Amino acid sequence: MTTVATSVDRTRLPPAPGGPGVPAPDETRVVDGPALLAHLHDGPSLAAHRLRVGPCPSPGVESILAATTAVDVRGRGGAGFPFSVKLATSARRRRRVVVVNLAEGEPASAKDSALAICVPHRVLDGAASVAHALGAREVHIIVAEDRPVVIGAVSHALAERRAAGERLRWTMHRARPAFVAGQARAVLELMAGRENLPVTAWMPEAVSGHRGRATLLCNGETWAQVGTLLAAGPQAYRRHGTADEPGTTLLSMGRDREDTEDTEDTEGSNGTEDAQTLEVVEVPYGTSWSALLTPGQLARPVLLGGYHGTWAAPGELTDAVVSRHGLAALDLALGAGVVLPLPTGTCPLTRTSGIVSYLAGQSARRCGPCLNGLPALADALTRVASLEDPGPLDGSRSARERVEELLGLVEGRGACAHPDGTVRLVRSLFRAVPDEATRHASGACAFDAGLHRRGSAR
Amino acid sequence: MTANLRVDWPACQRRGLCAEVLPEVLSLDEWGFPVVGAAVPPELIGLAQEAAAVCPHSALRLIREA
Repeated sequence: MTTVATSVDRTRLPPAPGGPGVPAPDETRVVDGPALLAHLHDGPSLAAHRLRVGPCPSPGVESILAATTAVDVRGRGGAGFPFSVKLATSARRRRRVVVVNLAEGEPASAKDSALAICVPHRVLDGAASVAHALGAREVHIIVAEDRPVVIGAVSHALAERRAAGERLRWTMHRARPAFVAGQARAVLELMAGRENLPVTAWMPEAVSGHRGRATLLCNGETWAQVGTLLAAGPQAYRRHGTADEPGTTLLSMGRDREDTEDTEDTEGSNGTEDAQTLEVVEVPYGTSWSALLTPGQLARPVLLGGYHGTWAAPGELTDAVVSRHGLAALDLALGAGVVLPLPTGTCPLTRTSGIVSYLAGQSARRCGPCLNGLPALADALTRVASLEDPGPLDGSRSARERVEELLGLVEGRGACAHPDGTVRLVRSLFRAVPDEATRHASGACAFDAGLHRRGSAR
Repeated sequence: MTANLRVDWPACQRRGLCAEVLPEVLSLDEWGFPVVGAAVPPELIGLAQEAAAVCPHSALRLIREA
């Protein structure tokens, strides 16, 4: 296990009303894994990477298409779009651009940071191989301005590659420390020298992206998966995972005190009581959630996919496995792989309203429904979560009815996925704990022992 | 062929002219931003083009799909 400093500015983190807050990933533990995170003790150097993995693969487009189709590599930034479709689309056009997006805008996500720090050349090899195949001479790398350790690690790795004679031109861009700054169109805006905010996409990036050129933009894990697949071949890639979903996936797991008490050295790094640590793990598809979470965590709601993700209901993951298809059947999604168990004594309504308040503050403030709707949604949700009787909002609508109305007004009405992701989070909350809004309206909470009676001290 | 109106959300400044031209498809939400209803029926294509043309910020587009 390696502990790395990812140095995220804590001021970005959402407020944590009613209990322990979100993980503050100024320190992230990275656990050795079966493929991408294998042999971490070798260190991140290019020499070690070449010794273990071999030279940067240089297959042609057709063979990359065949390999990525065979094992169905999906984008790991959240949307899960097939990599081979993106590649085929950009390959049909001229003058292609390759982009490595390491700007993890979500504070609770650290997997791309972990890759950049621990195994940068897995990421860079993936992008370099595909750039060679596409005839792209320039590769753009997006790093988050507030993750200086990642910037340092990437700069060092690029210097190593230049010293080794690599002819590609790598250009690094620094994304703003904001939730939406890593969104694909916001990244293209940054690359074009404009404000690092999302704009309307009239066409997919692979058709018309950077300065109108076909742009193959993927996050760090996607490139690392592609690099690992091309180096080892589909057969080796299939050694992990299931027949249906070969390979592995990275997860950023929130670990609260309760779970880390028995491991040494957690004291001290967490100065405040709302701190959690993050652990980046690599697991094969098909891994049981019971192997990843404690029985106590499984018995409470679990937030899958981060702040734009979905709440799994108490007990819902007990017999489930890490699987895109399997989770989709439960109306759940892994998104970019953030897994946040709900700490004991924390109310999921209160937690969600805290996250929505944070997301409202992270709006790029350009699209009207998001700018106006998310703060209103946060306010209504705070009322739903409250154990005090806030009275009807206006007219005779309850806060719960107002939440539904706002979800309808916000969904599908923005340049980026920020409003839709927020809607997904809130909808999943009411699916995961269907009785909780009514219980709160009557002044009780099933989760927070300190919140049981109406008018208690919060 | 179907035709749909799409809003360029960062460009939209809620002038509301579009909803005046094409109330059959567009309404305004509580903040004054357009709510796009169903697809544009063939007989309203002309008005939909006008609704897009009348926007002072060019924030509305008619997208035709085969």
